[in-house]
Amino acid sequence: MLSEFVVVDDADVLSVDALGEALSARVESRGTERRGWLDTFDWRLYRAGLVLEHRASPSGRSGFVLSDPEGRRLAQLPAPAGGIPSVDDLPAGQLKERVVGLAGLRTAFVRASAEGPVGVLALLDAEEKTVARVAVDGPLVVAGGAEPLPVRVRVEALRGYGKDARRVAKRIATSPQVRLADETLFEAICSAKGLRPGVYRSKPQVRLDPAMPAGRAFGALLDELVGIARVNVDGTLRQIDTEFLHDLRIAVRSSRAVLKVAKGVFDEPSRSLHAAELKWIGDVTTPSRDFDVYLLEFDDLVDHAMDPEAMRPFRTLLRRQCRNAHTGLNRALRSKRFARILDGWPDELVASEDPGPEADVPIVRVGGDRLRYAWRQVRRRGNAVTDGSPPDALHDLRKRCKELRYLLEHLASLYEKRAHKEIVDELRQLQNNLGEYQDAENQRRLILRYAEELIAQNAPAKTLVGMGRLDHYFEHRQAAVRAQFADHWTRFDRKHNRRVFATMLESR
Amino acid sequence: MKVLATYSIKGGVGKTTAAVNMAALAAMEGRRVLLWDLDPQGGATYLLRVRAKVKGGGRGLVRHRLRLVDAVKASDFDNLDLLPSDFSYRHLDLVLDGQKKPTRMIGQLLASLTSDYDVVILDCPPSVSLVTENVVRAADLLLVPLLPAPLSVRTMDQLDSFLETTKGKPPAVLAFLSMVDRRRGLHRRLVDELPRERPDLVDVMIPVASAVEQMGVRRAPLVTWSPANPVSQAFAQLWQAVIRRW
Repeated sequence: MLSEFVVVDDADVLSVDALGEALSARVESRGTERRGWLDTFDWRLYRAGLVLEHRASPSGRSGFVLSDPEGRRLAQLPAPAGGIPSVDDLPAGQLKERVVGLAGLRTAFVRASAEGPVGVLALLDAEEKTVARVAVDGPLVVAGGAEPLPVRVRVEALRGYGKDARRVAKRIATSPQVRLADETLFEAICSAKGLRPGVYRSKPQVRLDPAMPAGRAFGALLDELVGIARVNVDGTLRQIDTEFLHDLRIAVRSSRAVLKVAKGVFDEPSRSLHAAELKWIGDVTTPSRDFDVYLLEFDDLVDHAMDPEAMRPFRTLLRRQCRNAHTGLNRALRSKRFARILDGWPDELVASEDPGPEADVPIVRVGGDRLRYAWRQVRRRGNAVTDGSPPDALHDLRKRCKELRYLLEHLASLYEKRAHKEIVDELRQLQNNLGEYQDAENQRRLILRYAEELIAQNAPAKTLVGMGRLDHYFEHRQAAVRAQFADHWTRFDRKHNRRVFATMLESR
Repeated sequence: MKVLATYSIKGGVGKTTAAVNMAALAAMEGRRVLLWDLDPQGGATYLLRVRAKVKGGGRGLVRHRLRLVDAVKASDFDNLDLLPSDFSYRHLDLVLDGQKKPTRMIGQLLASLTSDYDVVILDCPPSVSLVTENVVRAADLLLVPLLPAPLSVRTMDQLDSFLETTKGKPPAVLAFLSMVDRRRGLHRRLVDELPRERPDLVDVMIPVASAVEQMGVRRAPLVTWSPANPVSQAFAQLWQAVIRRW
């Protein structure tokens, strides 16, 4: 940061040539570049200390520059000319592995881009060895930004020649034409585009005051949840990665859970209307999410089918269905109905002239009541499950567990941390067991459904045999998970957890 | 992190030229490369315009008075760093001899750089010594330049014997013909005969060329300033052979 400057008066005196002459430095390169900064939507690279930039010149030359958040260059990597920059284009090696590993399920895409002149000066020693570089960037026109960014001068230190870089930075700092930058170029580009690197949330972070009226508290939670749903719409429409839809659905499901427990808090007709509208979003997003999950897991799954090549027709069918599902989803997401659902209704609910009787009751009381109720619902359903219970009984228990979990997470700020964490951890273990069971159940249903479709399409016998093997694998997995349920349930429902839950509720 | 060492018992066979050009090619592919010039003559250091000086010398590095990474100097080329030569390296054998597990010191020092580099290239002095034993134990691959000369087969046999006597898993060996002058009858004959006697010789020849001498004038790897030169092309093929062997 100490070696990056902003030109306050970008007169000729700080052009590349003028600066080169002033510093007795050689012009190493100059030209115009189109630059794009890649990261995942939740800034996984930036949060891990990496800034990945793609640069392309009009002559067709392009490459990646990997830096740390302070702007220190870690590596320069070649990139194929043309096309949309992607981490898939990074050359094989540790850096690519690291970037791909950090991104995980998410896709690193161009978060911000800019275009403008770039010049690099090289400061040489007596052996004509480069001991520091000075990059002169700009003025850069940021895509989606209002004004071009002023010219920046950045001193790039080279390993083993820190002193030389500090010396030249000191000289530049004495110029009245520059001031020390208070943010890096990357941060400035992001700011110009209205982005804040590293800032992302998939869950509401509302700090609730125990005395806060329940109406306002639930309203604040819903407001954040709807905001989270809203920011994930564009990525879902563009299918940048599957996590946009995932986060959108979680925000919608969480909102439904809040609306459900807010019965008696909000104006009832409005509450039930919004609950029904959110359910509609849940319903229209389910097929796409299911296909996303199947395809994400497909490569791992086909290993169980022995002959992955034989499963190609199944994969093709899934891909086609997934495409169709997303086309339908995009239609729904672009509809007026959807736009209305995400349009500031939490404020209207809070401001209603006919609120529910508990609207002004402190959230700590209403929240406690609802948590106790959700806890009882989970216990009632869990205790009713026997070895002979159908899959739907477990599915129903899973849904109640989710509602309890959302409520616990949203109201976390009201309770003592340790007890709250213990309960959430215990619940998570039970949810993992139920989730695994349900996933296997869904997989088996899907295999059966598509086996019938593939038979109708005269798919090769080996594909159907492979699907049979897959079904067999899931049958075993489901049975194994089911056999573990009783232990998980006994653990969750033990006296100790009930005591911790009660302690948690009394902690405020 | 892969460790490649250019090594030969004989001097003047093109070790440093190979090391510098291999390092540049790897860096141009986007790999983070460290070239460690272990030769007290400092040929690679000179070619990259870096001062042949390490604070505390070889003794300081081996005795951990200086962290290896703090002795590294950036070259003028992206992704390519250099651990410079130091004249004190001529006594490196003696320094290593005074250490516990003296044949594993270089490997242990390099272990501290695993997250910083994808490729380390060791440019070794021509000898059979404790430094060489260290290099052999640290390297994944030995790149061995051979002159098209009758003694070359004997040189390879000596290397085999040496590798058999060293402890630990021996590195892979990739030998190639270096400084080949097709105008000379002996070279032409040996280029045909040597691969028959040593089938492990890679099918890449580095021709003798004035451009290689020009590297000393330009002080930069040949592949960076004349990529279309036949010698650069041959080095590019050699680099591909190295990658295949990894």
